[in-house]
Amino acid sequence: MRASAVRSVFLTRAARPAEASKRVLVLGGDSIGMNIAERFAIDGFPVLLLGYPAGTQVRDRITLAPDTVLDELQGFTGAFDAILTNSAGRSVERVGFVVAAQPEARVPKFEDYQLPSSRGIVSLSQLEDMLQSGDESLTRRGEWLHVAFLFGLSGESEPAVFSRVLSAIEHLGQGEKVQSYVFTRNLKVAADGLERRYRDCRESGAIFFKFDDAGPVFTSNSGGTLMVFREPLLGLEMELMPDLLVVDERLNPPASLKPLLETTPLAYLSAPFLQPESIRFSGVQTPKAGMFAVGPSRGVFDPAVIEDDVEAVVTALKESVAGVPDVTLPGSPVVDAAKCVMCLTCLRLCPHGAITFAKTAEVDPATCVRCGICAVECPMTAISLAPPAGDPDMISAIRQGLAATSGQGKIVAFLCSRSAAQALKSVPLRDVENLIPIVVRCAGTIAVPHVLEAFQQGAAGVIAAGCFQGNCASGYGTILAEERIALVRELLSDAGIDRDLVRFVPMAGNTPGVLGGAVRELEDRINKDIVKG
Amino acid sequence: METDAVILGGGIAGLQSAYRLSKLGMRSVIVEKAPFLGGHTARFACKATDRCRLCGACALEDVLRKTRSADSVKPFVRTAVQRVDDENGRFALTLLRKPPRIIPEKCGQCGECEKVCPVDGALARSPLNNELYIDEDKCLFFKDASCRACMEVCPDAAVNLEEEPDTLELNASAMIVATGFKPFDPELKPRFGYGLVPGVVSALEMDAMLRSDTWFPGEGDAEARSAAFIQCVGSRDPKIGRNYCSRVCCGYAVRMARLMKHRFPSLRPTMFYMDIQNFERAFDKSLEEAAEEVRLIRSIPAEVRKGEDGRPELIYHGPGDERVIESFDLVILSIGITPASPEISTDLGVTKDGFCGTDGENVTTRKRGVFVAGTVQAPRSIEETIAHAVAAAGKAASYVKEMKNGGSL
Repeated sequence: MRASAVRSVFLTRAARPAEASKRVLVLGGDSIGMNIAERFAIDGFPVLLLGYPAGTQVRDRITLAPDTVLDELQGFTGAFDAILTNSAGRSVERVGFVVAAQPEARVPKFEDYQLPSSRGIVSLSQLEDMLQSGDESLTRRGEWLHVAFLFGLSGESEPAVFSRVLSAIEHLGQGEKVQSYVFTRNLKVAADGLERRYRDCRESGAIFFKFDDAGPVFTSNSGGTLMVFREPLLGLEMELMPDLLVVDERLNPPASLKPLLETTPLAYLSAPFLQPESIRFSGVQTPKAGMFAVGPSRGVFDPAVIEDDVEAVVTALKESVAGVPDVTLPGSPVVDAAKCVMCLTCLRLCPHGAITFAKTAEVDPATCVRCGICAVECPMTAISLAPPAGDPDMISAIRQGLAATSGQGKIVAFLCSRSAAQALKSVPLRDVENLIPIVVRCAGTIAVPHVLEAFQQGAAGVIAAGCFQGNCASGYGTILAEERIALVRELLSDAGIDRDLVRFVPMAGNTPGVLGGAVRELEDRINKDIVKG
Repeated sequence: METDAVILGGGIAGLQSAYRLSKLGMRSVIVEKAPFLGGHTARFACKATDRCRLCGACALEDVLRKTRSADSVKPFVRTAVQRVDDENGRFALTLLRKPPRIIPEKCGQCGECEKVCPVDGALARSPLNNELYIDEDKCLFFKDASCRACMEVCPDAAVNLEEEPDTLELNASAMIVATGFKPFDPELKPRFGYGLVPGVVSALEMDAMLRSDTWFPGEGDAEARSAAFIQCVGSRDPKIGRNYCSRVCCGYAVRMARLMKHRFPSLRPTMFYMDIQNFERAFDKSLEEAAEEVRLIRSIPAEVRKGEDGRPELIYHGPGDERVIESFDLVILSIGITPASPEISTDLGVTKDGFCGTDGENVTTRKRGVFVAGTVQAPRSIEETIAHAVAAAGKAASYVKEMKNGGSL
């Protein structure tokens, strides 16, 4: 990841074009990608469409790039360079947005069940093809046809797969003389209509065996595959030699996500998908501005949710064209070219992939979310992030806060704007009388000098409060904060000061009790220290 | 008053719809019955243990913050829809807006009113900011004007019982119905002992206690306390017309059990279930981790009754095909998501499962210009609700644009 990020620095054009591109690169492969491309085209976005064979019919404003793969993606929202390869060679296409909407990779679990892929044993996809083509072995009904489905017996499965199993049973059931069996552990019915369809299948004769253990033992001979198992409800030993054994599939992310993962910040958190599994990334949003992930590329396989994703990605693009300014967003960080020594620290540490280099570090304003981590991490203090209009900078805020209050026992609290600062609003005032709140955009910007400044200006204790691990919108802001507070605690210890006078408190916007509790605990500690002398 | 879209319901679906409409340059009005925004989510506890457990409850604070900063969103709390007229694809609404019964600017939060109020729950505090409010459905004054105790005792003259509601006319081009769900009433399944056996609570009640930090597993003896979660109460149960899975309760119960164990490590939680539903990616690993902290038993108890020691006693079919009777200190019922049937839903269509909307359509309804968002349409997690609300906002925005360009369709 790092190596490739560094490589693309020197390839990336730093100068941002005056006009952001409205063109969308859609990576598709099935009806979902096509649907998205069409929706964009209707809404006036030109589309470059990958993942379909030559000759595919497309409507106006869609350019089909058949048999072409994306090799690499560079640049920023509004001005991405997509490097493409096909039989004619490499080409570079300028696009404003990228949408990953490839279908999932389906991996049959033959090996999980230690089954050979042979006659009489097929994957769910293979059965679907057979049903589609009206395969003779399924339609010829001289004798009874026994079909056994394995579902989630090895590894937990997905509702999307269960839906396909039920569809296959429904389809088979249309003929006569068919007996379907499902061997399973946990049914996955948490999607639209699945419970109802499961019960309907059962009522129309399908037999479901639910195991607590690995289930049947398979032995293959010339006649087929024999399944031996203990029927879970009655405890009877049973045998079945099905005419067809259908193996379920693991749903994996699309294989073609690799070049996108290489340009996505926080990929270490999200891989093999494009979206970290975090409350901070909802819908189709990815950590890379201008790049969107639909369905399987973000770990979602439920068709109903994918339908929402399609709508969401169209909405997201319309929003960016509508360009309603975010009034809560302060100005973009400013780089002092005279101080920047091109050490690449900011590039490596920006959790949003907003930094590029030309003659000096540059911040892409449309990508940057103003977390401020670059400004704190820059060893040359070459980057500064202006506070929101009218607010003092952090050091002045600490000084003013402490100067405005007299008396002892004051606690300076650095509060992450996304969690702790929200929680503060619900803490009863009497619990935070002694608190001087300093709101920071991300806990990752709470720096050692800030904490030391608070003590120097007379604070009796310091709280740094930010999001729980796994909940930081900047990925590792919480980890940075924890590390720095640990360092301050060591420094205090070395200086003979009680290290417990400063602490990091992980919390959420809806846990005012945690903040109130942390303040009380720290006050007790301060009082104890005073008594001790 | 004119607006582009009127949104019924100020829970996470309504708020998210409003926020996304604002990003599309559209104005919206949120109509919320309760005295505060946030809906059910406002009462959910954060389920983080040593790290975030992905419950999604904090997403509310996030979307509230964003909605508040958007000038084009006008939220009306304590407001109900009195009348809706559909005028050629546009909507004319009459809203009934109640005044705040406790005026926040005057209230000094002394709590004297809480001491004198004779009705449990008539005086309550907003889970969002702890402000006092009066629940008019419970307060005696609004029943028969028989009590004014809070008003008489208030030293700040902050109680405002007598002011009449006012009405407000609102015209909107589109409507988003985001009125949420109704939790299943556990008294409809008396065999689980809710309301009959002490120590049996609903998961929502447990959640509220965890949020307000008012639950303790008991005092005294060092013996570990035990808690049983019973899944699918009011879900996957065609006999009572619930032929669907509520989708969120497996994750909800496991997260809640882990939070309780995190706060009180000697607690022994057990979960009784039919089939565990996925609630995280890479679910095999998640389930393995959960099983280290929560005893998982695939069996729904036949009965919950009061044991001889006063504790709830569960009778269930054990893994070895035997009848087991086991006592717990606490039984938590994972009640399902059921349709809330908003007043205006008659024209919108009803899904097979009884929710508001059309089968096979995610956000559109039978009525032109009316869209559904969130759990009013089907059971959904918070994360899925947010995604669904974005879809509804997108469709509603297209509709508004169409109406502006071409008038009626």
